Amino acid sequence: MRVVKESKPKTPEEALTERRERIEKAVELKEPDKVPLILSSCGDLLRKYITGHDLYFNYEKAREAVIKFVKDYQVDMFLPVLGAEGFIFALAFAEYPDIAPAVRFWSGPMHDILKDKFTKWPGRELPEDSIFQFIGGQFMDIKEYAKFSEDPIAFVNEVILPRSCINLEKIGSPKANAALIRLGSEASKALKFLVDVTVDLANVGMPSLPLTSAYAPLDYIGDFLRTPVGVLLDIRRYPDEVKRACEALVEPIIKVALALKPAGAKYAFIPLHLNEYLSPKLYNEFYWPTLKKIIITLYEQGIKSFVFFEGWHDAHLETILDLPKGWGVALFEKTDVRKAKKVLAGHTCVMGGIPSSLLLEASPDKIKEYIKNLLKEVKVGGGFILANSVEIPKDVPSENLRALIEVVEEEGRY
Amino acid sequence: MSLEDLVEAFINLEEEKVLKNVESLVKMGKNPYEILEACRRAAEVVGERFERGEYFLSELVYAGEIFNNVMKIVLPLIKREIKPLGTILLGTVQGDVHDIGKNIFKAFAEAAGFKVIDIGVDTPPEKFVEAVKIYKPDIVGMSGLLTIAYDAMKRTVEALKEAGLRDKVKVIIGGGRVDENIKRYTGADEWADNAIVGVKKCKQMLGLGG
Ligand code: B12
Repeated sequence: MRVVKESKPKTPEEALTERRERIEKAVELKEPDKVPLILSSCGDLLRKYITGHDLYFNYEKAREAVIKFVKDYQVDMFLPVLGAEGFIFALAFAEYPDIAPAVRFWSGPMHDILKDKFTKWPGRELPEDSIFQFIGGQFMDIKEYAKFSEDPIAFVNEVILPRSCINLEKIGSPKANAALIRLGSEASKALKFLVDVTVDLANVGMPSLPLTSAYAPLDYIGDFLRTPVGVLLDIRRYPDEVKRACEALVEPIIKVALALKPAGAKYAFIPLHLNEYLSPKLYNEFYWPTLKKIIITLYEQGIKSFVFFEGWHDAHLETILDLPKGWGVALFEKTDVRKAKKVLAGHTCVMGGIPSSLLLEASPDKIKEYIKNLLKEVKVGGGFILANSVEIPKDVPSENLRALIEVVEEEGRY
Repeated sequence: MSLEDLVEAFINLEEEKVLKNVESLVKMGKNPYEILEACRRAAEVVGERFERGEYFLSELVYAGEIFNNVMKIVLPLIKREIKPLGTILLGTVQGDVHDIGKNIFKAFAEAAGFKVIDIGVDTPPEKFVEAVKIYKPDIVGMSGLLTIAYDAMKRTVEALKEAGLRDKVKVIIGGGRVDENIKRYTGADEWADNAIVGVKKCKQMLGLGG
């Protein structure tokens, strides 16, 4: 294997600045010095260093695992997502910008406090060394759409939280009040943990994205209220109710996203779930109008969106051009980034391109060849970030990850 | 009211019309087996439209729902045993609870004439092995969307080997993130990231064309 010569060692500050600029240039649709390489993990990859239980329940050990990973694998940015999907709670507290972001992602202890039915955790409902599971569920009846749409925040607080969290079953009960007080105190620990991770990363020369988050309204209904299949059937049977509910969600979601603006948030992460399911007709009727409104409003407020287009987004690729140029970053999963780059060049920063199955199963040489060919096509003109899209399995051989980093060094230069 | 109307309404995913049609056909004394066959034909056309990119997953989900609702009316009326094309044992592997794709595959496999035994989600390898012993399926279908599912699929194939059952069944893996690499990694015989192709491959594996 060819070893890449390290140019003279940089101080962490120098490395941090260099990497940040590299990424920012790509986002601004320009050519940086080199194609940025960003890896992310929702847990499995980090299990190379830590058990699933510790990852979610032990903030200190989780911090160590993150640092170990980035020391072993010098990428331009590492995005650890170390909590479960808690947007339901963020929305419940949308009126309170000091609280909403703190409960956006759930840690294991928060699950212990709430006894929510949305999630299952290692060392609790699951074996000690597994990743957490977001299960979701149907917590809203079909007949309740109208009431929900009248005032989504009130409905979530008064109806959904009691139904979905065992310890909040009876609002105002000592048990529920105690749970909320405990949640508050745990949330500040969890928030401190996130800040600590950012500092740790900076200390080894690795930037972090100043992130806030938003959600596509139809996904909110699917993930937290009606289940994905439930909402897909609802749009056939009760289209108007669904549309109204989506519209009612726009403002509260924007509030959640803006809560972190004063703290310097620059990007709103938005993972899309039902995009792949929908025909262009349904997408343009039920999904895109409200999502578009959210992205544009945030853009006008100085926050770019970082949208994860899960699954295949091919059928809706051109709708991205409805957005103002430079609106944000589009991370693709199954949609070929070559194709996306062709459609979106000069308009949208395209991110993705590393198949996890390739990292798992191919040889280092095959990986290098694949990425080399990919970069040849997509790096031209800048505006491209190389990244994984789905979780990298923990069993990925180290030499494969190293090959990935090396090939970007060799072939990613502009 | 005719079987042709039924097929057309099904293909166009007009749920209410389909169910009304089925009910009145049943009342008219139509052979329930013929109703079933008509819905199978319709489901096949829905699958073709999906493959051509005219229909999307939401249409498959809806078609599956309609098919299941028709079955609820028709199946209890079918007296004689229908000989299936083959039996598929189906489950989502350990650690993974995604089942929408699995359920779509199940609906379309059933519509194509397979008997499907669904053992649910988050299914440990031992449970697959147990079920293979009990139901003696022709095919074991494993669904999984998480990358941790790759490993779970591999472990399940190994467990089948250890139990001496690997040669007795064909194994197909499915789910949006499987591919040729993952087929090799897990030791499966086939893979599909699309239910319609999956059904075809199941037929092929049993030498039934596709
Ligand atoms: C809906 C969804 C959910 C729902 C699932 C609801 C349910 N009952 O299934 C909920 C919200 C519960 C959920 C939870 C989670 N999810 Co999820 N989820 C999705 C989503 C948006 C769609 C999946 C889906 O249903 N696709 C549509 C179906 C129809 O496609 P399919 O499954 O591929 O099935 C087709 C074919 O593959 C085939 N098929 C399927 N099975 C079989 C079997 C056989 C034998 C055959 C032949 C064919 C076949 O037929 C189907 C029709 O063509 C995807 C993203 C995406 N767009 O794919 C993420 C995704 C699968 N989820 C993901 C993750 C990470 C999670 C969570 C960990 C989230 C979290 N961080 O909290 C949890 C995990 C829970 C767990 N342990 O399983 C990741 C997986 C990443 C990875 N590779 O590890 C994805 C890919 C999102 C992403 N891009 O990051 N999720």
